[in-house]
Amino acid sequence: MIACRNLSKSFRIFEKKPGLSGSLRQLFKREYRSSHAVDSFNLEIGKGEFVGLLGPNGAGKTTLMKMLTGIIVPTSGEALVAGHQPSKREIPFRKKIALVMGQKSQLWWDIPAMDSFLLLQRYYEIEEKAFRKRLGDLSELLGVTNLLNVHIRKLSLGERMKMELMACILHEPDVVFLDEPTIGLDVIAQKNIREFLGSYQKQKNITVVLTSHYMADVQSLCNRIVLILDGKKRFDGSRSEFEDILGREKSISLRFEHAPNIDDHAWSKMDPKWSNNNFQVELRIPEATMRQTLADILLRFPVIDVVSEKMAVERVMETLLKRPELIPESR
Amino acid sequence: MGTIIKYARIYRGFINTCISQATSFRLHFFLLIFMDLFFYISSLATVDFIFDYVPMIGPWNRDQFLFFISFMLAIDQLHMTFVSEGFWSFSFELRTGHLDFHLLRPAGTIFSVFFRHIRAGSLLLIFVPWACLIWFGMKIPLDPFAWVLLPCFVIAGLILLVSFELFMTMFVFWTIEVYGINFLRIQFQQLSRWPAFAFKPWPRRIFTFVLPILLIGTPTTGVLLGTSPWYALLYMLAATLILWGLVRWLWLTGLKSYESASS
Repeated sequence: MIACRNLSKSFRIFEKKPGLSGSLRQLFKREYRSSHAVDSFNLEIGKGEFVGLLGPNGAGKTTLMKMLTGIIVPTSGEALVAGHQPSKREIPFRKKIALVMGQKSQLWWDIPAMDSFLLLQRYYEIEEKAFRKRLGDLSELLGVTNLLNVHIRKLSLGERMKMELMACILHEPDVVFLDEPTIGLDVIAQKNIREFLGSYQKQKNITVVLTSHYMADVQSLCNRIVLILDGKKRFDGSRSEFEDILGREKSISLRFEHAPNIDDHAWSKMDPKWSNNNFQVELRIPEATMRQTLADILLRFPVIDVVSEKMAVERVMETLLKRPELIPESR
Repeated sequence: MGTIIKYARIYRGFINTCISQATSFRLHFFLLIFMDLFFYISSLATVDFIFDYVPMIGPWNRDQFLFFISFMLAIDQLHMTFVSEGFWSFSFELRTGHLDFHLLRPAGTIFSVFFRHIRAGSLLLIFVPWACLIWFGMKIPLDPFAWVLLPCFVIAGLILLVSFELFMTMFVFWTIEVYGINFLRIQFQQLSRWPAFAFKPWPRRIFTFVLPILLIGTPTTGVLLGTSPWYALLYMLAATLILWGLVRWLWLTGLKSYESASS
């Protein structure tokens, strides 16, 4: 469904010297430097995959998405999305894709969402009956039926994002690009959007590429992760493979009734991170020996609570961003 | 045929959303109507005032000149109603990256960007310049064939004006900031509201053959009034075609260099 080979994008960035003399000088002579936002990127995504495109700010995720949607033209390389070359911006191609940008709104601010949807119906030539059905189903699923006639500027951020999602999938695209769709939302709104995206993708079997800095989005939605650092692909594999990059270990947190002896040799092999008062510890335990190790700890120490790690992706991501040399070369 | 129907339906959607948007701000809506009316009255009154002191300007008398002014106002009215907002919003869309959404829509992007904004208030005043045009046309009076040609010539003038302004606006891809280009555009609009014979030879040649703003109204009204030969219309047609060719080339070149705002 998506394929790109040696896809690259460079931007020419102008650097201005500070102060008045710098301002005057730049009128006549400018110094530019080249920035490689995306560098020789290769990627293949099949139909029905839900792929998380991860990376820090400025890594090149959005630039890659913009090239795959035809918004910007690559400096070099080839891309094919839903059978089309995105940079040609053919009309049938535009009907097959959709892009949601969490930080930009495609809906008209000063009119109700319904008016925008009616306009999109005409753009995408959606038949009246199908349009009404999709609109009804989506608004019910997202819980915004009573907000369709409210001006967009009067909606909360969460409600607005639901409308954005509806606008994006009304024409039932084959490929959906989601650029930080949950940014700025409260936890409940994030959860609602996540649940909607998960069920919609399964139901329609569409291909979704998601970027997000909220690892909960990635953990619950993506079955494949692509990591991009400085415009280059550094990892491409399943989510479980990504979680195993740092070894097959589990992160376990324990809470004690009273502080145990932290110098006990039992802790030393488990990379313990103690809380200030030593009432809590976070341990790294190899998966293979976890049952036995936990049993020993429970017998010997006054444990009152055990919490296993929920967000392995977040821990791996955090570590890799600090120490990118840990990323295996072969990926 | 299917494409025309699709675009007509989209355009109806544009009108609906623009009316919905404009009527959300009632005071502003009525203020714009007042502003347009004031513009029509002041344009006609200025020329009328000059004719209180001179019997003729060039080959035209008061009624002929006021017919020309009404003709240009009819073009301006259509321009203000259906296109002018797009020229202002283009730079904003370019700078903020909102152009991205236009590029994703399954329709011509120039159509989506420049014909998306319709000034609902101005739409209501469509009868004002046309009433003036018919009034002064009857006073001249125009012959029956000229009445048939009149609406076609207004549309032809509008197409040339829009082509010229699109051509200028394409440079926003490189200037990014739109004020300089838009104020220049407005200056040219003001010059085009005078007939060609009002200019000295060299400016007239430049504004006819290099920056063809004097072709917007002068050849057509000249043909209607019998003061210009019919082949003057060919200059107008040639200028429109050349400008569209340039617009298309600049548009495609501009889009290639479009970087989209970071998000």
